[in-house]
Amino acid sequence: MSRTIYAGQGFCPGAGLVDSAEIPSFPDAADLMLKPFGNPPIEEVPGLLLLADGGRFEGLLFGAQEWAEGELVFSTGMSGYQESLTDPSFAGQVLTFTYPLIGNYGIHAQCSESAHIWPRGVVVRQAMSCPDHRDSLGSVDDFLRLHGVTGIQAVDTRSITRRVREHGTLLCVMGRADDERALKKRLAELKAPDLEDLVDEVSIAQPVLLNPGFRGPRLAALDCGIKYNILRELCRRFEVLWCPPDIPFDALVNEWEVEAMFASNGPGDPAHPGKATNARQTLAAAVASGMPSMGICLGHQLLGLASGLSTYKMRYGHRGANQPVLDLTENTVAITSQNHGFAVEDPVRGMLAAHPSGANSGPQENLIGAEVSVSHINANDRTVEGLDVIGLPAFSVQFHPEACPGPHDAAPLFDRFSEMVSSTLRGDA
Amino acid sequence: MVLGSGPIRIGQAAEFDFSGSQACTALREDGYHVILVNSNPATIQNDPEMADRVYIEPLLPDVIRSIMEKERPDALLAGMGGQTALNIATDLAHAGVLEELGIELIGSDLEAIDAAEDRDLFKKVCESIDLPVPFAIACNTMEEVLSAATEIDTWPLLVRPAFTLGGLGGGTVWNTGELVEIASLGLRNSRINQVLVEESILGWQEHEYEVMRDSADNCIVICTMENIDPMGVHTGESTVVAPQQSLSDADHQHLRDCALRLIRKLNICGGCNCQFAWNQATGEVRVIEVNPRVSRSSALASKATGYPIARMAAKIAVGYTLDELPNPITGEGTTAAFEPTLDYCVVKIPRWPFDKFRTADRRLGTSMKSTGEVMAIGRCFEEAFHKAWASLEYGEPHPRPLTRADESDGEGMADRAHEALPESTLVEWLRVATDRRMGALLEAFRRGWSVERVHEITHITRWFLHHFEHIAKVEKEITEYIGSIENLEAFSLRKWKRLGFSDAHIADAKAGFPKTGWKNLPAAAGESAVMARRHQLGIHPRFRMVDSCAAEFAATTPYYYSTYEGSDESGIDILPDIEERTKERMVVIGSGPIRIGQGIEFDYGCVHAVKAIRESGRDAIIINNNPETVSTDFDTSDRLYFEPLTLECVCEVLIRERAHGILLQFGGQTAINLALPLESRLLELKEMNLNLRVLGTSTDSIDEASDRERFESFAERIGLKMPRGATGTTADDVRAAADKIGFPVLIRPSYVLGGRGMEVLADQKQLEAYLKEAYLAPDKPLLVDEYLGHAIELDVDAACDGQEVLIGAVMEHLEEAGIHSGDSTCFIPPQTISPQMVERVRKQTREIGLGLGIIGCYNIQFAVQGDDLFVLEVNPRSSRTVPFVAKATGVPMAKIAARATLGVLLKDQTIPIPRTDLVCVKAPVFPFIKLTGLDPAPGPEMKSTGEVMGSDPDPDVAYLKARMATEVPVATGGGAYVTVRSADKENVVPIVRELLELGFKVHCTPGTADVMRRHGFGVQTAYRITDRQQPDALNLMRKNEIQFIINIPTTSGGAVRDGNMMRRLAVELNIPFVTTLSGAKAEVSAIRAQRRGPLIPQRLKVSYLKD
Repeated sequence: MSRTIYAGQGFCPGAGLVDSAEIPSFPDAADLMLKPFGNPPIEEVPGLLLLADGGRFEGLLFGAQEWAEGELVFSTGMSGYQESLTDPSFAGQVLTFTYPLIGNYGIHAQCSESAHIWPRGVVVRQAMSCPDHRDSLGSVDDFLRLHGVTGIQAVDTRSITRRVREHGTLLCVMGRADDERALKKRLAELKAPDLEDLVDEVSIAQPVLLNPGFRGPRLAALDCGIKYNILRELCRRFEVLWCPPDIPFDALVNEWEVEAMFASNGPGDPAHPGKATNARQTLAAAVASGMPSMGICLGHQLLGLASGLSTYKMRYGHRGANQPVLDLTENTVAITSQNHGFAVEDPVRGMLAAHPSGANSGPQENLIGAEVSVSHINANDRTVEGLDVIGLPAFSVQFHPEACPGPHDAAPLFDRFSEMVSSTLRGDA
Repeated sequence: MVLGSGPIRIGQAAEFDFSGSQACTALREDGYHVILVNSNPATIQNDPEMADRVYIEPLLPDVIRSIMEKERPDALLAGMGGQTALNIATDLAHAGVLEELGIELIGSDLEAIDAAEDRDLFKKVCESIDLPVPFAIACNTMEEVLSAATEIDTWPLLVRPAFTLGGLGGGTVWNTGELVEIASLGLRNSRINQVLVEESILGWQEHEYEVMRDSADNCIVICTMENIDPMGVHTGESTVVAPQQSLSDADHQHLRDCALRLIRKLNICGGCNCQFAWNQATGEVRVIEVNPRVSRSSALASKATGYPIARMAAKIAVGYTLDELPNPITGEGTTAAFEPTLDYCVVKIPRWPFDKFRTADRRLGTSMKSTGEVMAIGRCFEEAFHKAWASLEYGEPHPRPLTRADESDGEGMADRAHEALPESTLVEWLRVATDRRMGALLEAFRRGWSVERVHEITHITRWFLHHFEHIAKVEKEITEYIGSIENLEAFSLRKWKRLGFSDAHIADAKAGFPKTGWKNLPAAAGESAVMARRHQLGIHPRFRMVDSCAAEFAATTPYYYSTYEGSDESGIDILPDIEERTKERMVVIGSGPIRIGQGIEFDYGCVHAVKAIRESGRDAIIINNNPETVSTDFDTSDRLYFEPLTLECVCEVLIRERAHGILLQFGGQTAINLALPLESRLLELKEMNLNLRVLGTSTDSIDEASDRERFESFAERIGLKMPRGATGTTADDVRAAADKIGFPVLIRPSYVLGGRGMEVLADQKQLEAYLKEAYLAPDKPLLVDEYLGHAIELDVDAACDGQEVLIGAVMEHLEEAGIHSGDSTCFIPPQTISPQMVERVRKQTREIGLGLGIIGCYNIQFAVQGDDLFVLEVNPRSSRTVPFVAKATGVPMAKIAARATLGVLLKDQTIPIPRTDLVCVKAPVFPFIKLTGLDPAPGPEMKSTGEVMGSDPDPDVAYLKARMATEVPVATGGGAYVTVRSADKENVVPIVRELLELGFKVHCTPGTADVMRRHGFGVQTAYRITDRQQPDALNLMRKNEIQFIINIPTTSGGAVRDGNMMRRLAVELNIPFVTTLSGAKAEVSAIRAQRRGPLIPQRLKVSYLKD
């Protein structure tokens, strides 16, 4: 094993780790930093962020220092930027961090949630050029540069956040300050990323059996943009078939003999007619057949749609690590990690905290032949955070029990699912 | 019943006034009847309107018990009064008192308190949930300590006493000698005579988690904090950043899990603080401690996040769950069960008293030495740090290059300012944590040291060092900037402002930090020039709300900080909807960090001023930077600005608010000092639409009252007597002054240094001797005054509306003139002064108030010598004694004065009838135990950190109560040691007679013993150390044969040192001692009063005239 000294600034002893036996089996977005890489350019590049509501923010470009465009959202987590940057649910979006100091502890090996950076652009108050952590491989700037993603810093992220709060999520572009005219043109022509088949963009194409021979039920994990930590949590409890979102249910049962179903998180509109709808059909078939099933985030929205509820775009969604969720059965509160811009309507209260555009899926057909009840709500805006299927072994949650980033309060939900699978297979229920 | 925390002390400051006040409000909202007990008269929490019943009584278990018997409360909430209250609660619970009286202990239960406080139990708890604690052995004897050291077998070791406040008596030891010294002190100070000898985790990071839990087991983390100073420095002594910066999400979640496991295992309901040590190199964790109550850190966390921890803890204590409570910040529709998220960086720096106590040991360790702290908020670390520095008020509002003047403890400052600090000294200042360390960090980077080098010396996390390096780099950029201030480019100026460089700092750096100081820069190169250029470019700060949610929700908390950011927004960030606002906006300037001489008393005044403004239908706006206080609770004012109290920051707030008025008389000297500079800016400010009135006493009147010469001529004009005085900057000046005044003279430096302090000189010979040792410099003159022998000092607090004067009270000092008035014990009403003299005092007070044109409050110090009445000093502002007067008489002087400044005449105000049925005594509380190297005797320099009050119809009992409340015991019997200077030997005779009558065994120094024997008293001889003969006094003290000491020191020679050592030992052994004759008399009558039976608690009452 040879080491080269990291050429950038800061304390990054993990940098330049080459030919290490520790190279992860999952391709990790930080793998690019295990090999020596060049220094960031010294020159400061003035940049510009333009918002669809006319907002204009001057700053400095970092990362790829080119341009970026997408739907502007904000996340309020104070740590966990690497996990967020690599969370496929951010595909199509430009991510603003409300915490002003991003990159404090650098980028770590095997701590990403996928193999890529998914936000199309990144907006921060200050990107730390001198990270400090024993596991650090390099800076956020390096990370973005190596992945060809552009970021802008030294902008007033609080004002940006307030705009998003007041107007709802907005389209935006960013790029070099001297390209203002071109940027404006781009912004005028920019289409909402929700219209793209984002699930297709972020999911795998072929099924993979992750831990063959694991002594546990075999589970199909429908990848709509699955986070690695969900796969890790599942692999601790099941033999996991990591599969594309459009895999037909028949194939799962007949070819792969799966006994349980999981639908993952993912980006974009859950009612998109593309891969998201394929995944909904597979999930619905599993639930309807009585196969124990669980959904997280987009997977939760798919279950909602499959049960005949509508989904809708939220004003600015929930993104962060401090969302309080009320468990209506236990009457307790968990602090959860969340990242979603769509929600399932409440059967009674309707579409709470909706986007001014009013975008929603419209009425849906019940594909599962059973009703659902609301199991969790957000303690702040009362939006639906969890669903139980009445009479069938299936449930879903809008938040992320796998955390990464965020608190572990909701982690017991994986055990609950595991028990549900076991008891169903034993024929208890 | 809610217990307060008693006097302001090192380790227990105003944070418990803040938490107790929040708790009272929260409980009364829900219809609970609140009984509050606190011995500290200067708090807001024991204002009559804060609780249903208020007792200002000593916080001692027996006293609390008798109040409980009288009031029969249903429950006791002890978690709001710090360690003091918690100790009382555990005492009463263990003694079965609570059970007997049917009182429920709410908040943390007894088991939780015991488990968190007893180190052995705590260790077991941690082990039961797989949390590592530092390897340690609990010891109850010195033998156990020594064998523990052998067992652990690595140096250094950490000694931590159990059950003490602020880690009193602990420390890091490097050898057996130090171990014995520190452990023996720790064993004595621990309530359960236990110390922990522990593996050292010096150099590890220190992280804190503020956690809340309710009865339904919902847990939330309010705030995380990271100490810049690595392990080894008490968290109260560390510079702290919130939120934590250098942990990854995985690291943080791991610690969060640990914190939640702890609070659950300990079954704490309410707030709790968990401290962890974190090895940055390996990711190892150690649990350091858990405080099962609200604490200094929780006050900081409340102010750092906006989340009112104490309020919520009180609600939880009475059974609410977090999700039932509305979010106090974002209001209805959101819940209190959420974790605040910040979009800014907070820096807290402790405020140490070493600027006053130059001889005190400055090393920081596991016990506290700071008296207070400041907090600042910025959008980046550099900005927050700079703002915090400016808030400290040490003299320099920004860090300057270090010179030899900085190491000189004051003397010869001017000469040594030309020499840079030697490198070896700099290394030492970095290596050993002291108050100088943060400045030393910047200096090291200014000198181009690498981050690695500084890290190796300090073990401070590199993340912070990179930022200090950045500050130094940008400072250099400013110094090297070519071009004049009037042509500064917007781009650079914005960048510097974004990093928190103040206008003064920029001017100073640009001028290359001249040795003559930044204040002497020519106008075109000074602070005002930078401000003018900045305003010309339209660069003003943005004001951000502390909303606990990073702008995710629209918040309603009127709590702001300023920051410079955005490169395209310019102009004034004016208060939203300013045109629609019809209420007048009045700004109250706070008093900044708690320090010797400027304590919580001024915060009390500010809060009352705010109340008066709000009651008058105006908007009250407060600017302050002390996170501990009630004034910086966002509920107190209409708008709170958490800012340094510098001219620049205050002006920016005024401009944003388009304030109509500013009140300076309640924020102590900090606020008064802004009067002149602010007035000189008024014209410029007017151009920015600011029509500001300085409310209350005019700047000119302030100057007339404060400037000695001007006041002398005023006194002469209206026929007041003043002690004659003069100042001299050379020996000849001083001689001439003494000649003119005539011996004896009272001589003192204007500034007390290591050399000679205040002395009374009888003749020319003594003067020459004094001058030989005195330090004289143009900026440090000696003050020569007429000596008023055996004079009695009086303090008067009064308010004036321009037409009429209201006298709050005349207070008589127990000690003779010569002891700082802040350190004296004083009585309301006067005890020895004739009614005629009191009438003269009142008359002169009226004449002075009306004559000077005072509008608002003022304080006068008088001295009475025989039939002569002298005016010593007039303070045209709220004084330290205002809250004491208010509590003693029921007349809220601060509020009345504030109303007067708003134009409400005294005759139009509803003023309570002053209470006269009790004698009230205020007694000082000293920090001697915490500060080694400080002579433990009151003198002309103020040394006390806080005060207590005792009241009773009997003056002796009132004094006894006050004395007991100071928590230094009042002797009940045993041995007394008497050593007095020759002049007082005869005077002490009646006191010794009384002591003998009371059954004391009296030990005297040989000289004193002779005199006593001549009077036929059977006294023992005890020798001084210098006599080298047994039995010596120190040995007797150590052998527990002395319970009370009368020590009236002479001012020179061996006796000084001897007395100093003896007093220091007395402090360490907690033996009461008095240093004045009048103090001795009072103490003896207190001992007598104590034998007369149990104390009767007195309830605070306020009565109004029925109209």
